Amino acid sequence: MKKFIAPLLIGAALSSSAFAADDSLKQEVEALKAQMAELKDAQSKINVDALRAQVSEIKAHDAGDNIKWNVDFRTAYDYVDYKIQGADKQDNGVWTNKLILGMGAQPADNLVFKGSLAAYKAFGQTNISSTSYFQTFDWYDSQKPNDSNIRLREAYFLYTGDMGDVHYSASFGRRPSVDGFLANLRNDNENPASPISHNINMEFDGASFKFDFDKVTGISGLYAKLCLGRGFSNTTGAYSMNMSSMGFNPGYVNDDQTPNMDLAGLIVQFFDNGQYKLMGNYLVAKNMMDMNVQGIAMTPVYTSSGLTYVQKPYFNFADVGDMTGGTLSLQVNGIGDGISDFLDDSIFFLSYAFSKTDPNNNQLGAISSSGLVSMAGMLGSSDKEFGSSIYTGVQVPGIMKGQRLGLEYNHGSKYWRSFTYGEDTLAGSKLAARGNAYELYYIMPVVGKNLTAQLSYVYIDYAYTGSDTFFGWTGTPMDVDSTPGAVKTAQDLRLSLRYRY
Amino acid sequence: MKKVFGLLVSAFLVLGLMSTSAFADAAKGQKYYLKYMKDGSGMNGAKFATQHTQAEWKALFDGKAEKFVAEYGKKYPGLDGFLKGDKFEKFMPDIRDFCVEFASDSGNVPSC
Repeated sequence: MKKFIAPLLIGAALSSSAFAADDSLKQEVEALKAQMAELKDAQSKINVDALRAQVSEIKAHDAGDNIKWNVDFRTAYDYVDYKIQGADKQDNGVWTNKLILGMGAQPADNLVFKGSLAAYKAFGQTNISSTSYFQTFDWYDSQKPNDSNIRLREAYFLYTGDMGDVHYSASFGRRPSVDGFLANLRNDNENPASPISHNINMEFDGASFKFDFDKVTGISGLYAKLCLGRGFSNTTGAYSMNMSSMGFNPGYVNDDQTPNMDLAGLIVQFFDNGQYKLMGNYLVAKNMMDMNVQGIAMTPVYTSSGLTYVQKPYFNFADVGDMTGGTLSLQVNGIGDGISDFLDDSIFFLSYAFSKTDPNNNQLGAISSSGLVSMAGMLGSSDKEFGSSIYTGVQVPGIMKGQRLGLEYNHGSKYWRSFTYGEDTLAGSKLAARGNAYELYYIMPVVGKNLTAQLSYVYIDYAYTGSDTFFGWTGTPMDVDSTPGAVKTAQDLRLSLRYRY
Repeated sequence: MKKVFGLLVSAFLVLGLMSTSAFADAAKGQKYYLKYMKDGSGMNGAKFATQHTQAEWKALFDGKAEKFVAEYGKKYPGLDGFLKGDKFEKFMPDIRDFCVEFASDSGNVPSC
C-alpha cells in the first residue's frame, strides 16, 4: 500500500508547487514589463540630438583648450662631395636626426598660437662647435646639423578679424619663415611657410599684417601681407665686462659696434584659384653686416711634432649698407584640365628674383691674400650691384600611386644675393648659388603619409665664390676657376626616412 | 662610401616594394575645394569644413556621398553642377578627407 501512496503524495506536492512557481513567474514577468515600460518612457525623453551636440561641443572645447602637438622626425644619410680649385676634392658621409615638435592652440575663434621646437643633430658626439664661428647663428639654428639641444624654431600668435569684407590677421613672434612657397615641394611639406623661398628662407623674429582682398575685388586668393623683422639685435648681455673701468656694464645696452639689422617686406598673392598661383614679394633690408676683423690671434697648439701656432681672427660685426630685393613666382598645380590623370597631378613652377646692394663707406677689417686689409662696400664692390636668379621645376607622379618625382634647376648671376641661409641642404643653399644648381628627388610613402622615404640629389656648379656668406667683403664674387681654394662644385646626395603625425 | 650608399639605395628600393598603397589626401582635397567649390560656396575651405563635425562629415560622405550631394547641391546651387559631375565622383575621397581633417571638432588649428 505504501508503494502506491508515496508516489501519489509526491505528485500532489509537485503539482501544488508548480502552481506556486507559475504565480511567481507571472509576477516577475509583470515586474519586468513594468520596468521595460519605465525604461522606454525614460528613453523617449532623452534628446539624442542634444546629447550629440553636447559631445561635439565637449570634443571641440577640449581640442581647442589644449596645445595640440605634432611630430616631424627625419633620420638621414647625406653624402657631401666638393671639388676645390687647386686642391684635392673633399667628401664625407653624415648621419643626422632632425626632430621638429610642432604645436598649436586656438583658445578663441579669432586667436591662434603656433610654434615649433627643433633639434637637428649629427649622430653621436661631434667636434662641429669647435670648427665653426657661425654654427649656431640665429638665422638657421634649427636648420643645420649640430648637437642635441632643443632650439626655438617658431613661436607666434595670430589675431584675426574682419573689416567689412576684408579679413585680416596680425601676428608677432618668431616667424614661420623657413621652407616657404616652392621649397615646400622639395621638402615634401603640404603647406608652405610664409615667405617665397626663392629669396627668403631663414629664421627670424618679427611681425606680419595680412589683409585678404579677394571678396572686395573678386580676384581669387588676392591678399597682401606686410612683414617686419629684425635679423640681428645690437645689445650687450647681462654682466658684460667693461675693461676700461674693470667693472660690469649695465645689461642689454647698445654696444656701439654692431648694427641692428632690420627687414621690411611686402608679400602679395596676386591670384590663387587652386590651380594657378602667382605670388610676389619686395623687401628692403637695412644695415646688412659682415665680419669686421680687428686682428689675428696666434694661438699655441701642441702637436706630435711640438709647439705650433694657429691663426684665428677676432672680430665683431659691422654695417656695410642696405639691400633691396624681390621675387615673382608662378606655380601651376595641375597642368591643363582633365587632359590626363598624370598632368592633373603634376606641378610646374617658374620664379624670377633680384637683389640690389646699396653700400655705405664703412671700412671693415678684412682678410686678403696679402694679410689684414681695410675694405668698404658690399659683396666686394663700392658700387650698387644688381643680381638676379631664375628658379624652375616640376613635380610629377612617381611609378607607384602616391610617389612623387621632382626636378629643379636654378641659376644665379655674379652679384646674386639671397636670404636663404636656412635652406635644408647640407652642401649650402642651392638657391644662393652664383652659377647653376640642379636637383632630382623621389618621395615615397611607406606607411601612408606617416612614414615616407626620400632620395634626393643636389648638384651645384659655382661660377663665383661668396654666394652663401655675409654682405660685405666675404661675399666678394671671385672666379672659381682661378681662385685657389674656391669650391667649384658641390654635391649632396641624401637618403632619408621621415615620420610625421 | 660607395658601398654604404649602394646599400642604402637598395634599401630604398626594397622599401618601395613594401610600401602601403596611398589613400585619400586632405591636401589634394583642399586644392580641389579651392579650384572647384570655393566660388560656388562663397567661403574659404577652413570655414567650409567647420560646418560639421568629423562624424557628421563621414555620415554625409558615406557610400557615394549621395547625402552630401543632396544637401550641398540644395544649400549652394552654384555647387550643384560640380557635385553631380564626373570630377566630383573622382575627387570625392580627397574632398571628404579635407572636410574631416578640418571639421569643427577636429582640434586642428588653422594657420593664416
